[in-house]
Amino acid sequence: MKNKRFNLLLIAVVTLVAAWSLWPTWRDYSLSKQLSSFKSAPDSLRYTLSNRDEIENARKKSLKLGLDLKGGMHLVMEVDQVDLFDQKAGNKDAKFTAIMNTVRAKASKSDAKVLDILIGEFKNENIRLSRYFYDIRNSDQEIVKKLEKESEDALNRAKEIIRNRIDQYGVAEPVITTQGSRKLIIELPGVSDENRVRNLLKGTAKLEFRLLRDPEILVRTLDRLNTYLVQNSVAPKSAPVADALPSPSVSSQLKAPVPAPAATGQASAKPLYDVIGVFQNGTAYTTEHSKDYVVSLLHRADIQALLPMDTELLLAAKPEIGKNGEKLFPVYLVKKTPELTGGVITEAKATFGSQGVQPEVLMAMNSEGTSKWARITGANIGKRIAIVLDGAVYSAPVVQSKIPSGNSVINGIESLEEAKDLEIVLKAGALPAPVRIMEERSVGPSLGADYIRAGVLSLGWAFLAVSVFMLLYYKKAGIAADIALVLNIVIVLSVLAGFNASLSLPGIAGIVLTIGMAVDANVLIYERIREELDGGKVLKSAIEVGYDRAFSSILDSHVTTLCAAFLLFTYGIGPIQGFALTLMIGTAASLFTSIVVTKEIFSFLLERNLMTQKSFG
Amino acid sequence: MRIFHKTSFDFIRFRKIAYVFSLVILASGMISLAVKGLNYGIDFRGGSEVLIRFEKNVDVSTVRSVLDVAGVSGSLKQYGMDRSFLFSTVFNGDTNDLKSLVSHALNDRLKDNHHEIVRVEAVGPSIASDLKWSAVKALMASLLAILLYVGFRFELKFATAGVVAIFHDILTVLGLFSLLGGLIDFMPLEMDQSIIAAFLTIAGYSITDTVVVYDRIRERIRGQKPADYERIFNESMNQTLSRTIITSSTVLLSVLVLFIFAGPAIRGFAFAVFIGILIGTYSSIFVAAPLVYDWLRLSKSPVHLRGSKVS
Repeated sequence: MKNKRFNLLLIAVVTLVAAWSLWPTWRDYSLSKQLSSFKSAPDSLRYTLSNRDEIENARKKSLKLGLDLKGGMHLVMEVDQVDLFDQKAGNKDAKFTAIMNTVRAKASKSDAKVLDILIGEFKNENIRLSRYFYDIRNSDQEIVKKLEKESEDALNRAKEIIRNRIDQYGVAEPVITTQGSRKLIIELPGVSDENRVRNLLKGTAKLEFRLLRDPEILVRTLDRLNTYLVQNSVAPKSAPVADALPSPSVSSQLKAPVPAPAATGQASAKPLYDVIGVFQNGTAYTTEHSKDYVVSLLHRADIQALLPMDTELLLAAKPEIGKNGEKLFPVYLVKKTPELTGGVITEAKATFGSQGVQPEVLMAMNSEGTSKWARITGANIGKRIAIVLDGAVYSAPVVQSKIPSGNSVINGIESLEEAKDLEIVLKAGALPAPVRIMEERSVGPSLGADYIRAGVLSLGWAFLAVSVFMLLYYKKAGIAADIALVLNIVIVLSVLAGFNASLSLPGIAGIVLTIGMAVDANVLIYERIREELDGGKVLKSAIEVGYDRAFSSILDSHVTTLCAAFLLFTYGIGPIQGFALTLMIGTAASLFTSIVVTKEIFSFLLERNLMTQKSFG
Repeated sequence: MRIFHKTSFDFIRFRKIAYVFSLVILASGMISLAVKGLNYGIDFRGGSEVLIRFEKNVDVSTVRSVLDVAGVSGSLKQYGMDRSFLFSTVFNGDTNDLKSLVSHALNDRLKDNHHEIVRVEAVGPSIASDLKWSAVKALMASLLAILLYVGFRFELKFATAGVVAIFHDILTVLGLFSLLGGLIDFMPLEMDQSIIAAFLTIAGYSITDTVVVYDRIRERIRGQKPADYERIFNESMNQTLSRTIITSSTVLLSVLVLFIFAGPAIRGFAFAVFIGILIGTYSSIFVAAPLVYDWLRLSKSPVHLRGSKVS
């Protein structure tokens, strides 16, 4: 008797908690229905304002819909650990570069830890890690430990920085988690401008102030490169150049570059000047067509070896518009070692420039940066300093005077939106290493609406089919099973809402499957009761024995299903986890609903003599 | 209502036929796996996919030729929804390029039929191999867990036969996926993460029916002579036949609903679970229990079952 009272209490508590947990979802639903029923905007605005707290509260606590139902973006990004380790190394030589290239190639093909691959390569070459990393006196083990720490830190920092960027961009309820040693999983519900978000996330935001070399040196360097290309006019040159620069008209667009006359027939004699033009004033340009080829050229190790010490050729981020309206990308020769880096930036603000049309980003520096900046600008009056973000030159203004205030500005930005995004990434800080998008799944809102419809239809039909079947097959006892089934579904939804988990289409599939599996426990019990009744037991003891004997099979089958669902949840990713989660909750809940709840219903009915032998069909 | 009430099928006598039947099905599936392989989905293959939906009806070949002319290389096929096509191509970290290429091509040439890109998926090669590995690990771990649990609850012979039956069920479905993969338009049967979820569901559920039969055998076999085992096995299976079939039917019912209503994203999963549960019900009667019977018969030692109550 005592036990029975406890069971009733338990059922009441579970039901109440479930209802309490789902209440905000119901409120949210009815409030938004109310809102959409208003005909005019002012009406709905007034309603929103007067019920603001309730609307917000309900929304915050209601059952969340997954990315696939709501529309949104799921990204897996990888922190480039090869680049990270490369940054940490010193005394780099050709051997080191070769090893790192092998490591990069291997890392892109397997999912082994980059550090393990790196150690393996160093072992193969029989080189101690300390030759390049940290102190020469460190043992390999110490260095491995340090590098491990370094990569872990990098992942966590990347996560924080990306979270900052997303927060400033403004996405409701983003979820960012790390996975393994180098991956970030980012979930952004309801994102509409995927492209902008993608660009916002993938940029390293490495800001550098670098001195420009004199124009004469640039011209001389380009000459040297050209000569080299002529001498080595082997395979790589011919096809891409012709491809990249389809017509001589492009070089004539360059308005007669000084060292390279607009030659039509001599294309092969001046391989470099086919793609890079030089103006009278010593500035160099490439066209939009040839840009990709020039970039690949500049990445070649043999080309880089020909540049003057500690310099690099960089392209502008944005084209300048030439006289004929063509897009020209300036080419800059800058010092490799930056004068100052973005770490000193404390504040960034997107505004319009002095003419009020050109968007730009104003930056302020910390005290250390300010004094350095003052010294740098003071020492280089009349020279040009390039503002480089992620390897592209945004602008290269001439230093007019010493700047003591620590202010600087990025211009050469196309739109205010882009300026705003720059502001965000500069404020959030630079990523410790570049990140790459490894996986992306985005669902538009219209498909999400389809999924919701499909999910609700499946839920409804599955419930109808299974509950009608139970009624037909087990008559009155079927009612008990159906009540238990309703409670089961309510529990699954309320657990999801209560723990802030979201419901996805696979999650709904899990619930649908649960509907079919939850009644299994009742089937096992009822079949056993029928058997006991056939054996001549009276109803009351048949029910007792039925529950008792069927329990072992029910437990076994539930435990195995739970096992499988749990492992699926552990190893699964994203959408599959949603399925595993609802299946797990549903299976666990059905142990309670199908056994405890139905038994209480039967004893209630028995006490009032509302059951007969016929009640089990 | 009572179906399969008081049956008396001689399951044990027909077990050899069932073994042959199972082996033939398994072998044909394995041959197909070896020859034809599987139709891998984007999760395990890597690549990029865009799902395009048009406002009006359009022929798949028309869209294909438009994309071909525009120089967007990849494969296009009808997706299991109205006026929708799935375009798949190689992986590229920036799906925006792909999206705008497809959009421009379609806007240029199919102006009067508005389209919308409703879903984009891109999976890099290293992620794909990651996913493959975690799928294999999850499957192995769950089989091991089930083996241990059933071994702990019954006996090792029972547990082993149960896991053999699970292998039987999963491999049959896998073979079927290989045989039918890509043949049916509204159901391409691609191997992806959801199919792994299906396999784990089958693994967890297949043992359910088996356990019900085992439970009854355990209840009745205690203290009996090995000579009576055949009768006990048969009677146990007949006594539990009704519940074995009813429990499976309710699940089949809800999976059928998923197959019909939940849309193309779930269809492959629903198909796999449906077949898996059908096969699982068959295998618990014709594979798992008979295997235990044969094993007991050959080993000639009396069973020591855990947890069997005399009451």
